[in-house]
Parts: sequence; C-alpha cells; structure tokens
Amino acid sequence: MENKMTLEVDNLKVSFFTMNGEVRAVNDVSLRIPAGKIVGIVGESGCGKSMTARAIMGLLKYPGKVVGGEIRLDGQNILPLSEREKCSIRGSRISMIFQEPMTSLNPVIKVGKQVDEAVLLHSNVTRKEAKRRTIEIFREVGISDPEKRYDCYPHQLSGGLRQRVMIAMAMIMKPEILIADEPTTALDVTVEAQILRLMKKLCEGGTSILMISHNLGVIAQICDYVYVMYAGKVVEEADTFTLFDDPQHPYTKGLLNAVSSLRRGGERLDTIPGVVPNLLYLPEGCAFSLRCGECRKECGDVMPEYREISPGHKVLCTFAGEH
Amino acid sequence: MTRSILQRLIQAVGVLLGVALLIFFMLRIVPGNPILTLMGEHADQATIDRMTAELGLDQPPLTQFIRYVAGAVRGDFGTSYTLGRPVSSLIGAAFGNTLKLAIMAALFAWIVGIVCGVIAAVKKNGIPDRIFMGLSLFGVSMPVFMVAMILQYVFAFYLHWLPISGGDNWKCYILPAIALGWNSAGSVSRLVRSTLIEILGEDYIDTARAKGRGRMGVIVLHALRNAMLPVVTMMAIQLSSLLSGAVITETIFSINGIGRLAVQAINGRDIPLLQGTALFSTFVVILGSLLADSLYGVLDPRTGKEA
Repeated sequence: MENKMTLEVDNLKVSFFTMNGEVRAVNDVSLRIPAGKIVGIVGESGCGKSMTARAIMGLLKYPGKVVGGEIRLDGQNILPLSEREKCSIRGSRISMIFQEPMTSLNPVIKVGKQVDEAVLLHSNVTRKEAKRRTIEIFREVGISDPEKRYDCYPHQLSGGLRQRVMIAMAMIMKPEILIADEPTTALDVTVEAQILRLMKKLCEGGTSILMISHNLGVIAQICDYVYVMYAGKVVEEADTFTLFDDPQHPYTKGLLNAVSSLRRGGERLDTIPGVVPNLLYLPEGCAFSLRCGECRKECGDVMPEYREISPGHKVLCTFAGEH
Repeated sequence: MTRSILQRLIQAVGVLLGVALLIFFMLRIVPGNPILTLMGEHADQATIDRMTAELGLDQPPLTQFIRYVAGAVRGDFGTSYTLGRPVSSLIGAAFGNTLKLAIMAALFAWIVGIVCGVIAAVKKNGIPDRIFMGLSLFGVSMPVFMVAMILQYVFAFYLHWLPISGGDNWKCYILPAIALGWNSAGSVSRLVRSTLIEILGEDYIDTARAKGRGRMGVIVLHALRNAMLPVVTMMAIQLSSLLSGAVITETIFSINGIGRLAVQAINGRDIPLLQGTALFSTFVVILGSLLADSLYGVLDPRTGKEA
C-alpha cells in the first residue's frame, strides 16, 4: 500500500499482570491504517481486539500495561507522550466509540453538553459556539430535531440515537482516526445498517476508521482491509476481498465457515472445535494448533512465522499456502 | 414531582399526629407523677389536687390529647412545668444552639468524609486508602461520648487549644462539632469511596477519558456528580438527625440545645416540654427525608420530571 498511513502500530504488546502471572493479551500486533480507509479487526471475544484499541487510546485499565512496541500517529510515536499530551490527542486527533450506547453516556448530563465538552476541551471557543457546532454535527449524523435533542438526557433517547450522539461526540473535532469498538453490536439490524452507512460517509470525509467487530458481516460490508486476531496475535491480514475470497489461515477459514448464508440452504453451520485457550497457558508453538483441523506434527513445536501469500496478504501459519 | 411532594406532605402530617399520640400516651403510662416531682414529696394533698386541676391533668386522657393537638395547631405547645415558659419559645431558643452545632458538625463530616472518600477511591488499595478506611472504621464504630472525651482530654485538658465545655463563641463549638460529626464522617467517606469506585468502572467514564478529559476532570465533572446521588440522600438524613438534637454531645459539652432540653424534660417529668421536643425532632427528621427525596429528583434526571 503506497497510501499515507494515519496510524501505524508496530509490535504492540499489552500484558496484564495478575496474581497468576503475566497475561499477554496483545502479543506482537502490527497494524497499518491508511488515510481515509476503514480497517477492521475481527476475532472472538478475548482475542485482544478491544485491548489493542484501548492501548491505542491510552485507556488500558489497571492492571493492563503496554510493555512493548510503537504506536505512531502520522509518524509520531504517541506511547512515550505525557498524560497531558495524550489528553490533548484523545478526542481531537484520535477518538473512540464504544460498544454499549446505553451506558456510554453520562446519565446526569444533557447529551448536548456532553458533546460540547469535547469542543470546549480542544478548542478555544465560547459555549455558544460549541453549542452551535454540536447542533450542526447532530444534524450531520442524522439526529432529527437536533435543537430539541441537545437538551435531552441519555435516558430519553433510543439506543440508535445514543450511538449517533456518541459518533457525533467522537467526530466533532474531525479526528484523523476513529476507533469503533463493536459500535453496532448492541443495536438491532436496521439501526446497525444506518450506523454503518453513517460511518462510511464519515470515512469519505477523510477520517480513517479502525473497526473492531466479531461480526464478519459488518466487516465485509464496510472495511477495506481486515486483520484477523487470535489469542493476542494477528493470524491473517489481507484486503477484504482477498480475505473473504481466499482465506489462508485455518482459523479464518473456520470463522468464514461458521457464517450462515442464504446460498448454503439449510445445512448445519460449521463450528471451530474447542475454546480460546487461556492466555496464561498458551500451547507451545502455534496458539491455534489445539483447535486446528489441519494441524501437523510440527505445529505444536514451532512458532509459526508470517508468510506473505500475495502482496499485502500475510498469514501466521507455518503451512500457509500448502493446505 | 409536585404531586409526589404534596403526597409526602400529607403523609408527614399523619406521621406527626401518630407520633404525638404515641408520646402523649406513653408519657402517661410511664411511672412517676409530674406533680410530685414538681412540688416535692412533702406537699399536702390539697395543693396537689389544685395543681393537677390547674395543669388539666385531672381531665380524661382523650380530652387532654384533643386539647393538646388543638393548641399545637395554633403553635401553642403548652407551658413547661419546670421552667415556667412556653415550650415553643424554649425550643426556639435551644434550636439556635442546636443549629450552630449541627451545621458545624455536618460541614466537618461532609468535607472530611467526601475528601477522604474521594482520595481513598482514587488511590484504591494504596496507602492513603488504607489509612482513611482504617480511620473511618474508628469513625463509624466509636461511640460519641468516647470521641468527645478523647477530644476534651487531648485538645482542651492537655493542649489547652480549645475550651473544654460551655461558652457561646464559635470556638466552643469546634470540639462538640467534631465529636458529633465523627460518626457521620466515617460513614460518608465509606459510602463515597465505594460508590466512586463503582462509578469509575462505568462505560461513560471511558467515554469522558476518550474525549480528552484528564483524570481529575473526569472524577470531578463526571464521576463525583453520579457518586453524590446516594451520598446526598445519606447526608440529608444525617443532617436531620443532627438537627433534631444531640443528647449526648450537648450534655457532655454543656450546650443548651434541643437534646439537653429533652434530657431536662425527662429528669423533671416535664410532660409538655418532652412532648414538644419529641414532636420537634420528628418534624425535623420528616423534613430531612423530604429534602433528600426532592434533592434526588433534582440531581438525577432519570427520576422526577416525566415520571
């Protein structure tokens, strides 16, 4: 990809230091998010996708910690920045929306004021101007009757509207990158489609989006490029078309086989046997080996390395391309 | 909202009437003749009879009660047997002192409680947390008289910083206020800590951080306001119990407040005064819980308005 990169994550490592030992929630993850593109991370619960997002935002919760790697925003490594500098980046250059619109807004503050807050924090404008901008962005994200909604409390709005408020809050400073952590998981399908359309529109406005989801349908609909994560590692990355057309990693294949489709008729869905391994006790060699249908003798001993199947299509499997 | 307050007011009148009835008849069941206490053991029967008739105590109890309520509605709570002054004016005078004490105790309790609670929550499991929570355990479990005597010993007797008891300037209220507020400070700090810890784990705290708010800003502007909901309720109820008179503190520190007045009334079998103080305390407590409820409605938009 010759595109300019908005965000580059190199060898990111996030660990949780628990009583039972170090849990490597994110283990050597590298991502590239080009300007104006939507990049997806897909994986099961607990694969480290949300932790990657939180690490980028600098919002890891105790006892989680970034233990290695670099996160570069427009070429500048943001990990060593002071908390103060990070605060000035958060909400203005990188912003984030969360999974649960029902609980992501402060219940005792009017939604308009909550969006204003982002403006007032990052620019030197009057309250009146902040309100004007908030109402304008409300209109942009498709909130009807924005003047009235401005004075609503979160409990007075539906889930879809609240997520629009969240998007408005994240977008009001026109950030370079928006991280969306399962933004539509808690919403019903019609509202999901509206929100996805809105995000696509925002992307056309120049903001790059990192879309985190466990829903392959969502990823297929809007992402340009996809990373598949498993047990804290990226196991496969490719542009969306290639990934869905020619998946190489057995895990990706398993995920795609587990999706129902009209073409398949009434057959039973495939499943991936077993469960995600405990990150404290990862098997030696390939983390997926215990569940892999194509596992060979060597997989349990040798750590797989990335193999580039075609330009931009990398797979973390010793036997990629040979299956 | 207004309807529910109206409802509560009507309920309050019912509660007051019930309490009045209960106190009235309880005072007539307990042993001890007020006339005998008043006149001394050697009074002759004729004087006792005359006195009983004068005070209306020869009437049937129900008549006495109806008379009492009729008077109370007009603001007349009778005249104290022992002090010879109208009960309402005695309570009025004593309330001034109780009010001073209560406000100072409440300020002490809330400021100390909230500040310690917030610090403990932010530094969860750290050293300040352990120190404050250890102290607050003392706060909630030490009886008032013990705190009062320790304070008197250390700050008045030993260090001579503050007067030991009595007096009327603000300095005389410092030790009693701390003694009285000690308990509330302990419970407020524990409640603030636990509520704040819970709230700091809420999703909207992440949202505020993601917006670019710093840690302190998030705590003050987003977390504290939500954490205050249960705390305010607790504080309003505490305030009403402080205002209804602190029997032990006022006695130890010789403050002429409602609590001390009630003790005097009990010792002197002063029926009107005792009725008056008990009724007054009930009234303040009802007012306090009413205040707590309305404040909750103001602070939490989810209750009230459209409900």
